[in-house]
Amino acid sequence: MAGLKMKGKPSSTRDRLFRAAIALVLLAVSAVVLVPLLNLLALSLSDPARVGEVTGLTVLPKGFSTVNYRVLAANPLFVRSIVNAVLITVVGTAINLAVTSMAAFALTRSALPGRRIFMLLVIVIMVLEPGLIPEYLVVKKIGLMNSLWAVILYKTVNVYYLIILMRFFEEVPQSLIEAARVDGAGYGTIFLKIMLPLAKPALATLGLFYGVFHWNEYFRASIYLSDPDKYPLQLILRQFVVLDDTASLIGSGALFSFDEAARLDYGALKASTIIVAMIPVLIVYPLILKYYTKGVMEGGVKE
Amino acid sequence: MHKPGTLRTRLRQEGFLIVLLVPALVYFSVYHLVPMAGMVLAFQDFRIVGPSQWVGLKHFRLLFSSPSFLGVLKNTLIISSMKIILFFPLPIAFALMLNELRSVFVRKFVQATAYLPHFLSWVVIAGVWISFLSPSTGGANQARGLLGLPPVDYMTSKSAIRWVLFASETWRSLGWDSIIYLAALMRISPSLYESADMDGAGPLQKAVYITIPELAPTMITVLILNLGFFMSAGFDQVFNMMNDSVISAVDILDTYVYRIGLLNMQYSFSTAASLFKGVIGLVLILGTHTAAKKVTGKGLW
Repeated sequence: MAGLKMKGKPSSTRDRLFRAAIALVLLAVSAVVLVPLLNLLALSLSDPARVGEVTGLTVLPKGFSTVNYRVLAANPLFVRSIVNAVLITVVGTAINLAVTSMAAFALTRSALPGRRIFMLLVIVIMVLEPGLIPEYLVVKKIGLMNSLWAVILYKTVNVYYLIILMRFFEEVPQSLIEAARVDGAGYGTIFLKIMLPLAKPALATLGLFYGVFHWNEYFRASIYLSDPDKYPLQLILRQFVVLDDTASLIGSGALFSFDEAARLDYGALKASTIIVAMIPVLIVYPLILKYYTKGVMEGGVKE
Repeated sequence: MHKPGTLRTRLRQEGFLIVLLVPALVYFSVYHLVPMAGMVLAFQDFRIVGPSQWVGLKHFRLLFSSPSFLGVLKNTLIISSMKIILFFPLPIAFALMLNELRSVFVRKFVQATAYLPHFLSWVVIAGVWISFLSPSTGGANQARGLLGLPPVDYMTSKSAIRWVLFASETWRSLGWDSIIYLAALMRISPSLYESADMDGAGPLQKAVYITIPELAPTMITVLILNLGFFMSAGFDQVFNMMNDSVISAVDILDTYVYRIGLLNMQYSFSTAASLFKGVIGLVLILGTHTAAKKVTGKGLW
């Protein structure tokens, strides 16, 4: 059934029917992905008076209202959680890229003393997984409990990304580095002026992946942060949508400041929260498609 | 300015490289190495004040005689088997189908939609699925209604919940995991198919004699590398999709470690379960790495 390549030959009717069937199956997969997401978007934007008309398969809003989003925006805890999530994502990703690229550069220099030991260490970290409790106790001991830093610094270096970047640095032509050396450049200049500019596409891709990771992180936040003012959005989302803790999200103040509030639908409000949590991912998603998928398709995967 | 090659310059340059490595080393120490050493807690009784006391294998004996732990182990193996072995052919089929598409627009549209869920958090995905599977308002049950079938409360059904995990994992990973096969398919030389055409080979013969053999190394690599994570079974997914009604069917090692460790504060017992998982994971990863290297010439590192 597969590998039906007949370039240059006119397709028979049977071939065309076969391809049409495949296209239909694939479009059905797309629909299965899209319908539940569009359904939540439709639910979140529907007029509260008509929300009952929205079925589980509706993909367009019934009427139009932004009341759900205005209720969320009026909730200080919700707004605060977005600020926290942005802070964790931006600071975290910057630290990820700086620390990972510095380490990748150092580890790919043959002059690094003890290079073999460090590489062994990287492999040990890749294969040995420390338990949750020992990690928790260390974070507690060094005083990072209830600090955003405990969340920001989690996965500062993803070992797999480190290795990808190392392979990238290894492929930079030696002649380029030698030429800079002859001109009197030290490692600092080589790193900043040659390696980093060359690695821009790789760093952009890793930055997107690190960024999405930080934005989506909720578990470390849930065990290390105790102050709700410090919670990131995903954690608020989990409390509200997964644990069904409605009180956490809707302050009484927010409820009374809207005329439509009396008709508010929890399902619609939950849908709005999910949509807000997806927005940054949707914004960077075209970039991910552009950088990563294109890189994989054109350069071949590095298995 | 020193000339390159003098001892002082060399020392300074080497020192600079070490400095570049220091932040990573600090991170590895705090989140990996010290906690790894902290796994000795599995052989101790944890005390908040004062030194912990050595108790040998006490917590492991408790672990293996605990019926809840054995159930958790069974769940982990079942859920992992579904997500690794049962799921395995799906991205391959997806890539093969995508490869047949002639319309660039349809192809790009299908790819763009199918890769998207990989980037959504499990909290978001759980929210989407809980809503979609709702017995009263969810799309899945409304589709059942159209076929004249009675609604099912999938999220609280012990017999359905593992399939919910399998289905939502497929929803999230089908597209993304097909990329590696799609890239492998694109590397197959078209001349192979052309000569097969000249020999009068049909589509099935071309699949059996060209496509499958050409994809085989990629399939083996993917399968082997995934087996290395067999004991994990997907913490974030289970953690966000489980509830009290189905906990006995979906509680896996990692959720168990979390619950007895952080919620019940049985630090030593929980660490013993972690260590058990870590040791098996280590054996699996080293084993699969060796196997991958033997079969395909490439391992994890």
